[in-house]
Amino acid sequence: MKVLLVEDDREMADSLRVSLEDEGHNVDLAGDGEEGAEMAKSRAYDVIVLDRMLPKKHGTHVVRDLRSDGVSTPVLILSALHDEDHRVEGLDAGANDYLGKPFSTRELLARVRALWNGRELAISERTRLQVGDLEMDLLARTVHRGGGKIDLQPREFRLLEYLMRNSGQTVTRKMLLENVWDYHFDPQTNVIDVHISRLRSKIDKDFTVQLLHTVRGSGYRLAA
Amino acid sequence: MRSGPPIGQRPSGLESLIRTTTFRLAIVQAGVVLTFVVALLAYVYIATVGQLIRDADAAAAQEYASLERAYAEGGISRLRQEVIERSNRQNDLLYALIDASGQTLYQDIPVIPPLRGEETDNVSLKLSRPTPEGGLASGEARGRIGRLIGGPVLLVARDLGGAAAIAGRITSVLWTVAVIGLVLSIVGGLVASRQAARRAEALSHTARDVMAGDLTRRVPEAGIGDEFDILARDVNAMLDRLERLVNTTRTAGDSIAHDLRSPLTRLRQRLDEALEAKPDSEGERTALRKAVDEVDRLLDTFQAVLRVSRIESVANWRFDKLNLSEIVRELVEFYVPAAEEAGIELSAFVTDGLALKGEPQLITQALSNLIENALKYTPRGGRVEIRAEMRADGKLELAVLDDGPGVPKQDRDRVTERFVRLESARSTPGTGLGLSLVQAVARLHKGVLALGDGLGGTERPGLRAALVLPTTG
Repeated sequence: MKVLLVEDDREMADSLRVSLEDEGHNVDLAGDGEEGAEMAKSRAYDVIVLDRMLPKKHGTHVVRDLRSDGVSTPVLILSALHDEDHRVEGLDAGANDYLGKPFSTRELLARVRALWNGRELAISERTRLQVGDLEMDLLARTVHRGGGKIDLQPREFRLLEYLMRNSGQTVTRKMLLENVWDYHFDPQTNVIDVHISRLRSKIDKDFTVQLLHTVRGSGYRLAA
Repeated sequence: MRSGPPIGQRPSGLESLIRTTTFRLAIVQAGVVLTFVVALLAYVYIATVGQLIRDADAAAAQEYASLERAYAEGGISRLRQEVIERSNRQNDLLYALIDASGQTLYQDIPVIPPLRGEETDNVSLKLSRPTPEGGLASGEARGRIGRLIGGPVLLVARDLGGAAAIAGRITSVLWTVAVIGLVLSIVGGLVASRQAARRAEALSHTARDVMAGDLTRRVPEAGIGDEFDILARDVNAMLDRLERLVNTTRTAGDSIAHDLRSPLTRLRQRLDEALEAKPDSEGERTALRKAVDEVDRLLDTFQAVLRVSRIESVANWRFDKLNLSEIVRELVEFYVPAAEEAGIELSAFVTDGLALKGEPQLITQALSNLIENALKYTPRGGRVEIRAEMRADGKLELAVLDDGPGVPKQDRDRVTERFVRLESARSTPGTGLGLSLVQAVARLHKGVLALGDGLGGTERPGLRAALVLPTTG
């Protein structure tokens, strides 16, 4: 997919560009806010990755500018501060996701992929999700696997829904925390792992094919 | 929050007033005024009334001696004749004569005072004299009374006249002035001491706020350049310097954390890349993973440092109306699986409809830190209890209780300070910033973090960590 990266820190920009290109993305680079806004308006991108503190034009202003011009490309804001008020400010301006530095490359790649998935899903307005023989009905709020019904708690349902919407992709613990629980801090304990292992025991326990995989050092992936 | 010794507590009302320096000065001043007035009174009295009396006494004594001589020369009849003649001739002298048998031979005063003993004696007489207008005026006279040889009693007196009245007026004016002066000096002293007490109170109020952690407070100046203003300026200058020093220390830590974050992030990326490149040996992989973990821990610590200082330094947090009951229930639900996994019984008692104005993520994180602390230090088979309720004093209390080792009383103030970890906690992972963050969040919401004994017994008391938050403001 085509990614526009707007970042003024040269070293950071190069490192991110290499990582994104390694994932098979096509990356354009802009060095300041004005250039970024111009490029975003003149070409069609799938995802825009935007630093918050930019010369010439602040990241949140770039997003507001784009949105008022009718550019609906998903935007991920990178910020030196992972702070609630900055996050809210960025999302209010029209950004789709917010990632505070420091972050790992894998976290960024996972989020870029998720933004793209989210856009595809939003366009297709799907009411059913399917991964292998695991099926989720978003209207009836039911889950079946191999013909048998699986009972889930509301939160487990949302956890599985998020994993299914991003199936095939790695989702990090942080992404789960933010999107399933709306918590924007890092628990020091393995609390997410415990939730995942409970979910796993419900969807994978009686089946030979395991769907919910642990990606070591990063997070989890739901895939057939 | 620390609840140290009662700082700056003082008795109220009259007792506190009497203790003030200025009030004591006012009392001394009043004493000096009183002494001066009494001395002045005495001087004026001696100089006026005293002189009149002395003059009258002398004149009366002289006349008495002269009549005594006439008596010696011509007996009682000569004396009576002299008295009558002199009485007619001199109008400022008054006479009275009683013979040996007690019969009054002459008197031009209304009442003859009794003779005490046999000695001659100076006496004061009250007079009422006919005035030219036909009325009676009261007056005073001083004179000499005595028994002559053979028994007759002679009295000679001098009318003090109008001078006595003037002297009396002067005396009463002086007394009035003395009383007024005394009252004024006491009232003035009270007013002055109240004023001084108020300004001293303002100073001590500022000092207490600063001690409570608000380094931005300053002593108000009255702008009149008096000694209190000078004191206020000096104290304020001292506070400026103190604030600068504290901020320098704090920002030094913050800048280190801030400046090291970017290179550390890059280091982590390099390590990630090295891992992505799929190292050949398992040993290399393990080493790289360990390195990533270490870097992550460092980054976590820096992140926490910056977060705590941000909470403490940023003024414009967005406060929303929060459904606290729901936040607590969701967080408990979030932690129940982890608690079960750790063999800990996690239970919650949450009152419905607890509302609060606050920053949702910070409140959630603070409570999450308390719960994680409790889970971390409670052994398998232990209990953790969460209570969210409205207290009788109208404040909200979010308490997390456990039956772990607890925190000794003497360490409770310390554990909320940055990077402080008790010796017993060294072996468990953690940044030493968890409770600092809770403390900072509590302060941001004008509340406190209170530590106490938890669910355990006397051997192992456990810990009770409570966020106490006001619902207003």
